[in-house]
This record gives sequence, C-alpha cells and structure tokens, in this order.
Amino acid sequence: MSVDSVLSSIQSSALAQWMRETNPAMQVVESTHVLAAVMVLGTVLIADLRLMGLADSRRAFTRIGRETLPLTWAAFSLAIVTGALMFTTSAHAYFGNAAFQLKALALLGAGVNMAWFQLLTSRGVAAWDLGRPPRAARVAGFVSLLLWAAVVLLGRWIGFTKGYDFAIPPGVELEFPGR
Amino acid sequence: MRPFAEWLYQTTPSVAIHSTLWLIRLLQATHLVTAGVAVGSGVMIALRALGWHRADEPFASVWKRFAPWLIASLAVMTATGIAQTLGDPVREFTATSYWVKLTLLLCCVLGTLLLARAARRAPMAELPFAARIIAVALILGWLALPLLGRMIGYDAAIWGSLSLRT
Repeated sequence: MSVDSVLSSIQSSALAQWMRETNPAMQVVESTHVLAAVMVLGTVLIADLRLMGLADSRRAFTRIGRETLPLTWAAFSLAIVTGALMFTTSAHAYFGNAAFQLKALALLGAGVNMAWFQLLTSRGVAAWDLGRPPRAARVAGFVSLLLWAAVVLLGRWIGFTKGYDFAIPPGVELEFPGR
Repeated sequence: MRPFAEWLYQTTPSVAIHSTLWLIRLLQATHLVTAGVAVGSGVMIALRALGWHRADEPFASVWKRFAPWLIASLAVMTATGIAQTLGDPVREFTATSYWVKLTLLLCCVLGTLLLARAARRAPMAELPFAARIIAVALILGWLALPLLGRMIGYDAAIWGSLSLRT
C-alpha cells in the first residue's frame, strides 16, 4: 500500500467528508486545535522554565512535573485529535506542505528530547530536584521550549499557506475565506 | 462601525501594516505564542485560588510567580492585537467574535484582580463561594479567548445570523 493510496483513503473517508461538508465543523475543530496548542505551550513553559533554572527555584522540579504534565497531556491529546481531524480534510495537501512537514519534525524532535531527558538526564534528579538543574537539564528545557514554540509557529504557518505551497504571481490578489 | 473601519483601512498606519505581509505574519505569530503564556498564567492563578493547584503554597507566592508573566504577555498581546486591528479593521470590527473576545478579556483581567484581592485576604483558607465561582468562570474565560481569537476569521460560519458580517 503506497503513501498516496493511504492519503487518498483518508481524504475520501466518511469522516473527512463530514468534516468538509458540515458547517462549521472545520472552523470549530481548527479553533479548538489552536486552543489546545496554546495550552500545550503554556503548560510546557512552566516545567521548562523550572528546568532551565529561571523560575520556581524553591519548588521541586518533580513536583512541578507532576502538577503540570496532566494538563500538558490533556491539551496535547486534544491537539492530536483535532489535528488528525483537520488532516483528513486535505490529507494530500497537508502531507506535501513544507510547514506541515517541519511541524511534524519539530514534534518528533520534542518527543526525542523528552525521551532523552526521561531516560538519561533525569536519572540524577534527586540531587538537583530542589536546586539549580545541571547543564544537561537546562539545555533539555531550552530545547523543549524552542521546539514547542516552533510547533505552534509552524502550525500557524500552515494556515498562511492554506495547505498549499505555491507562489502567488505578482499583482494577483487571492481571497482566502477565513483569513 | 463599518464606514469608520473602511476609513481606518485607508490611513497610512493601516496601509503600512496590511501591505507588509511579513509584518502581518509576525504579528499573528507573536500574538499566538504570547497567548500560550497569558492563558497558562491566568489559568494557574485561578486554579490556585480554587486550591486545585499548588495548594501548599500561599496565594501570594503563586501570584508573584505568574502575575508578571500574565502582565507582560497581555502587554505584548495588546500591542500586537492593536496592530492587527489597525492593519485589517474591517475584518476585526465586523466580527462578533472580536467584540465578544475584547469584552471577555476585560472580564478576565478584572476577575483576576478581584480574585487576587479576595485570595490575599485569606491566603491559605478556602475562598468564599462567590470567589470560587469567579475562579471557575475565569478558567473558562481564559480558555475561551484563543478560541474566539481564531473564530474571528470564521465569524459568519460560527455565529450565523448573529455575526456582524451578515
């Protein structure tokens, strides 16, 4: 089964058709996706600032993680569901879109960074839980913040291209609904 | 309102903004990222007031942690929001979502200040029922702001006959 045929079946599915034809399904789903992305960034920022040693220095890092991670996961799950719903409507266009590809890469990078931190860097967390994190942890926090901000910004960038990468000829005005 | 918006659209500052594509994109992107900071901070303050988050810390300490971020992000959002409105006043002023968002933002700011006043009077004790209702409303309000912001682009589809664009 080729990527093309998978994308075609996603795009022609009943769910995709419902998303495209039901007013205002796409608009509500997209707005909810924005809210979820904003919440992911807002909650990740709290843990990352502590990891970078820039805020909450008197609060244990593990405690902050326990407090904010459920919110981050809830927002992230909502973002995945709404993002997947949006993807179904124009699977081919999204898949070929440079901003979408970069966003997927940034998401993957954020996941790898988180896994690296959980498996290796956080092993000695007991030693710095209430103090200044070591350089590796501070770098992990900074990279996480950069990648999640990139995810949100690239998501916005997909909106600028409306799922299509093409150059608009000079002098031609295109009216996109919803811009 | 529409004639005023159309006049505003022709003014030099508006033309400078809406004819500079990279500036519009920069403004929108900055507005979106700072929304994460503002909504996150606003929700954390309201959650603490309810005792659902950092209940072991005095409210004043949580306020000191999140209020500067809330104020700074709201300042950036106000500046980028005004610039976006100036750049495309017809789109903004004719959207019901825009006016609901502005009203809600004002309510969220006033509600947060009220909540802070109530919580400072009883730093570790349970807040009065009215203050807890305000805190719950604030959480919903802060979360509704990004939704409404995105819905400005889809005003007619979302609001139907209630949209100022119809």
